[in-house]
Amino acid sequence: MIRLYHIVKSYGDRDALRDISLHIQKGEMVYITGPSGAGKSTLLKMVYGAEHPTSGKLLIGGVDVSKMKHAELPSLRRNMGVVFQDFKLLPSRSVAQNVAMALEVIGASAESIRRRVPAVLNIVGLKGREDDLAGVLSGGEKQRVAIARAIVNDPAMLLADEPTGNLDGAMAVEVMEILQAINLRGTTVLVATHDVGLMDRFPYRKLRFVDGRLVVSPTKGSRS
Amino acid sequence: MTAPFQRALRGLKEHTYLAAVATGVIAAVLVLLGVYALVVVNLQAALSGWQEDVHVSAYFNADVSAADQLTAQATIATRTEVASVELVTAPMAAAWMKERVPEVGPLLVELGDSALPASLEVSLRPASTSPAAMDGFAASLSATGQFAEIDYGREWVERAAAFLATLSLLGGVLGIILVVAALFLVGNTIHLVVYARRDELEILRLVGATESYIVTPFLIEGFLEGLVASAFALAILQFVHHGVVLRLHETVPIAFGGQDLAFLPASILFGLVATGITIGILAGWVAVRRFLARLA
Ligand SMILES: Nc1ncnc2c1ncn2[C@@H]1O[C@H](COP(=O)(O)OP(=O)(O)OP(=O)(O)O)[C@@H](O)[C@H]1O
Ligand SMILES: [Mg+2]
Repeated sequence: MIRLYHIVKSYGDRDALRDISLHIQKGEMVYITGPSGAGKSTLLKMVYGAEHPTSGKLLIGGVDVSKMKHAELPSLRRNMGVVFQDFKLLPSRSVAQNVAMALEVIGASAESIRRRVPAVLNIVGLKGREDDLAGVLSGGEKQRVAIARAIVNDPAMLLADEPTGNLDGAMAVEVMEILQAINLRGTTVLVATHDVGLMDRFPYRKLRFVDGRLVVSPTKGSRS
Repeated sequence: MTAPFQRALRGLKEHTYLAAVATGVIAAVLVLLGVYALVVVNLQAALSGWQEDVHVSAYFNADVSAADQLTAQATIATRTEVASVELVTAPMAAAWMKERVPEVGPLLVELGDSALPASLEVSLRPASTSPAAMDGFAASLSATGQFAEIDYGREWVERAAAFLATLSLLGGVLGIILVVAALFLVGNTIHLVVYARRDELEILRLVGATESYIVTPFLIEGFLEGLVASAFALAILQFVHHGVVLRLHETVPIAFGGQDLAFLPASILFGLVATGITIGILAGWVAVRRFLARLA
């Protein structure tokens, strides 16, 4: 699903990623972990096309996205959901409107929006909250709305950059359970986090970065 | 899919104040352009009125007989560039002078009827009032040898034409400066709108919106702002024009040859509306593109 070959990403003379090669299989769930500044966000940004590698090759579903043109970005992003620590919701719009944005941009019909938004809110445990303003929700609820928006298109993969970073224990566990459930439905899930407790509780393969280098890449489900 | 038009309206609702500022700036520029156009249009009308009035005074030599004067009048009347010819005989000239300047009456009586020369007052057709055409006409008259002096206010016509040309040029330059300034101001206002909506644009980008999906509502907003601004500007211009006409009626009833000030012709009104809409759309386009380029 995702293959990196000798990826280097430099900002000026600082190397955020140094010679990274790795493979993430279709339907896999993996952690991207490591200390602050290790290059976790940088890796995800390259996968969703916000950054281009300085050198190396990045294949997603067999397509080389390292040389992807600006105009091709939308088609890449429509096939992946992205979730962030700060949720990125519009607080003055309703839960349903926030989720619907991802459907509107792909030209979904009003009818299919009416059908799919409640269905996806059901998956993230926010059934019946369609008309609440996103701004008044709790952090955990906001992240669940963001996840709903990310998966409403049935994307092949879900990228989550510190999805639990702003959440306390119980809420973080809820969010992880939802990501797990999404993965079980066949979606490839990448989670950048440095929450060791969560990784222990939900054990998946870890890609550990330190200072831009991939240091440990144990097999699926093992503990570090 | 939410139609781009609906998204534009939602955007306008969410930042009414900034939209009003953009609209106001466009309207102000259109009013300035319109007022300038009103001045130029009316000066042009007045000048062409005066130009139509341009006539040539040809003063006969003292030795040309009354009969020859009549013959000359008849000959000149047949020329294509001539609208009318009036013969002012020496007694008529003297009578006119006595009436105008009574103090010279006794002097004229003493000098006799032929104190002032007889003349032909020739009105030219509008097509023949250019400085060059008048030069040619005057030259052909002096070639007959019958005239002592030919007077046709050539300098005045030239100066008026030059003045109007300068005024139009100045108007063009000022107009371009105004439009550029408006583009800049409106562009910055729309940029504020874009900035206020940066979160939404960022999200749209993340969920795979195409560039045109993001840009189109801003273009529609710009179009609507330009349209509303044009309507306001035309109403204000109409109001200003009406006010000035009323004021002129009170003070100088026969200004501009007794004609009322004209309002702007349809072509210029249309041009103003087109300018307003273009400013709105272009400013919207530039502002969003500038922002998206940074968003990546
Ligand atoms: N746009 C940028 N310009 C310059 N340097 C950058 C930029 N983005 C990231 N970096 C640098 O690249 C390195 C990796 O950053 P990155 O954000 O990927 O780290 P991270 O692993 O996500 O850290 P954190 O856990 O704090 O989020 C850091 O040294 C960072 O300062
Ligand atoms: Mg990060």
